[in-house]
Amino acid sequence: MLKINKLHASVADNEIIKGLSLDIKAGEVHAIMGPNGAGKSTLSYALTGREGYEVASGSATLDGAELLEMEVEERACAGLFLAFQYPVEIPGVSNMEFLKVSVDSQRKARNLVPYSSSEFLKLAKAACKQVNLPLSFLKRGVNEGFSGGEKKRNEIMQMILLQPKLSILDESDSGLDIDALKIVADGINSQRDGQRSFLVITHYQRLLDYIKPDFVHVLADGKIVKSGGPELALELEAEGYAWLESYDRNAEQEVNA
Amino acid sequence: MSSWLANTISEAEQVNDWLSPKRAESLALLKNTPWPNRKTEAWRYTPINVIERARFSAANDTDVQITAIENLDSIDLVFIDGIFNLQASTNDFPEGLFITQLSEGQSCEWALDGFKKTKPNKHFFGLINDALATSGCIIDVAANARIERPIRIVQSFTSGSQSHTRILVRVGPSAKVSVVEQLQGDELCFNTSFAEYDIGEAATLEHYRLAMQCQAAISIGGSHFSLAQSAKLTSNLIGFGSQLSRVDMDIIHAGENAISKLNVIYLLDGKELFDLHSSFEHTVANGTSDQNIRCIVADRANAVFNGRIHIHRDAQKILASMNNRNLLMSEDAQVNTKPELEIYADDVRCAHGVTIAEIDEQAMFYLQSRGVSRIDAQVILSFGFINELVDQMPNVAIADWLRPQLRNRFANMEIR
Repeated sequence: MLKINKLHASVADNEIIKGLSLDIKAGEVHAIMGPNGAGKSTLSYALTGREGYEVASGSATLDGAELLEMEVEERACAGLFLAFQYPVEIPGVSNMEFLKVSVDSQRKARNLVPYSSSEFLKLAKAACKQVNLPLSFLKRGVNEGFSGGEKKRNEIMQMILLQPKLSILDESDSGLDIDALKIVADGINSQRDGQRSFLVITHYQRLLDYIKPDFVHVLADGKIVKSGGPELALELEAEGYAWLESYDRNAEQEVNA
Repeated sequence: MSSWLANTISEAEQVNDWLSPKRAESLALLKNTPWPNRKTEAWRYTPINVIERARFSAANDTDVQITAIENLDSIDLVFIDGIFNLQASTNDFPEGLFITQLSEGQSCEWALDGFKKTKPNKHFFGLINDALATSGCIIDVAANARIERPIRIVQSFTSGSQSHTRILVRVGPSAKVSVVEQLQGDELCFNTSFAEYDIGEAATLEHYRLAMQCQAAISIGGSHFSLAQSAKLTSNLIGFGSQLSRVDMDIIHAGENAISKLNVIYLLDGKELFDLHSSFEHTVANGTSDQNIRCIVADRANAVFNGRIHIHRDAQKILASMNNRNLLMSEDAQVNTKPELEIYADDVRCAHGVTIAEIDEQAMFYLQSRGVSRIDAQVILSFGFINELVDQMPNVAIADWLRPQLRNRFANMEIR
């Protein structure tokens, strides 16, 4: 599904991602954990094509299509989705209009007929209920005056409506209380169908209690330094990230030896 | 003196009615006021020589279609070329609401004092309106009355007409009312339309001025408000711009703890011009005022905004804010904006900001990341920029009626 090969990416001439490789197969859930500044958000922005995030070398393909050569909206239409860590407020543009134009744009790109307004309203209402947001949130400005948790649930609602092939969830658990966390996790789990894949970026094991990952990777200094099963997340939770430094040294010693 | 002004003054001298003493004061001032030109600060960006060139008649006898506002159950007062149209107007009024034609104003004992009470003498065409406006209406809302249906004053102007109308509104203490001034007519015509609102203690006025005359129309006017203690005003102005459109809004905080809010949307295309001069006078302590002016200016259109906040010496503890954001859609579009802050009190908070807005790149990326093309996102975000103020309108029917019109007008701008 998503193949990242030796990706190097920089922000304002500082190299943040330093040769990252990752292979996510259809239906898999991968978690990326790591300390602040490891490059977790940079990875998600480099993949989605945000301005200012320069890719120097490497490749990233989604179902064989090279993402890095596409415009931002083309990547989305190809099936890539990013649930933002800090969703953007757009007063004056209703959530409903935002959702409809997003879904319409993607359907158009895939040569599908657009939904009628009533068809779409039905879908949007169902998605809204699923993430436990009041229906009035469809009428409000995009994320305007939403609490942190409501913004995160709004991201999951968009994911449910857009049905992406690969969803990157950038700290979708941050700032959530336990009830909101469960709603977000349930929303994500409801989308697991053995075909669609997920890349869950998080600081904490907490979210992974609810979303069982197939693989856990540790990102440090722009590279994946360790990969394993769900047990790796528990290990990180118990020991923190400080051991990574000694891990680096050990690795170097091994190489030197 | 310009020949137009000389003719106007001699015409005004023929007017003889219950307002004559007030008219004479304004005529005297007019005689000493030079015809405004580019060197007149208040008219710096708005040339008015077109008024002198065109020929107008008093009124046409034509049938006019009045634009309805869907789902708005309003009390309608309709004027065509300044003449009251009884058939098109509502004639039963709820308890606590009294409406009188201006020509019959001698029957309202407060009206003579109310005339020119709120509107300052500084407006040149306001003086002309003082002298010539013989039609219009007087609206009195009794103390504690809550008038649920909005009062809609529709003024329609036909080709070649010239008219001068005056509206006087008194909102009694603790009363609540909503007034819509709707102006229509896009052909070459000339009108001055001034309205004065005296908002009593703890009264609430919700006001709309839909200045939607475009193309060749010449429309000059103003809405002027005085707020007594704890009075509340929300005013919404929509400006479409025309050959010459000028509105003056004066908001006077005459009593403490009053709250005023003015939201303005300009949407200008072609060679249209819209000129707004707003003025907030805080004469007493403790008050809050807020104005938001958003302009989208396309093609070779010209938006003028002069925003004045005047906080008098003893007017402490005032919170005043003014924000003007402009979106230019073409290289030839123009915005002339000038904040004018005069603050003589020392314990106030006064915020002002003017921007020529760029598209918000964060919002742009957010939309693109959902699959929306940059061009589509630009349209959505630009419209959102003004729609934010439409969303704030307290009257949902008016907002819902305006939105598609603004959207259409905006979409047509995009094509060029």
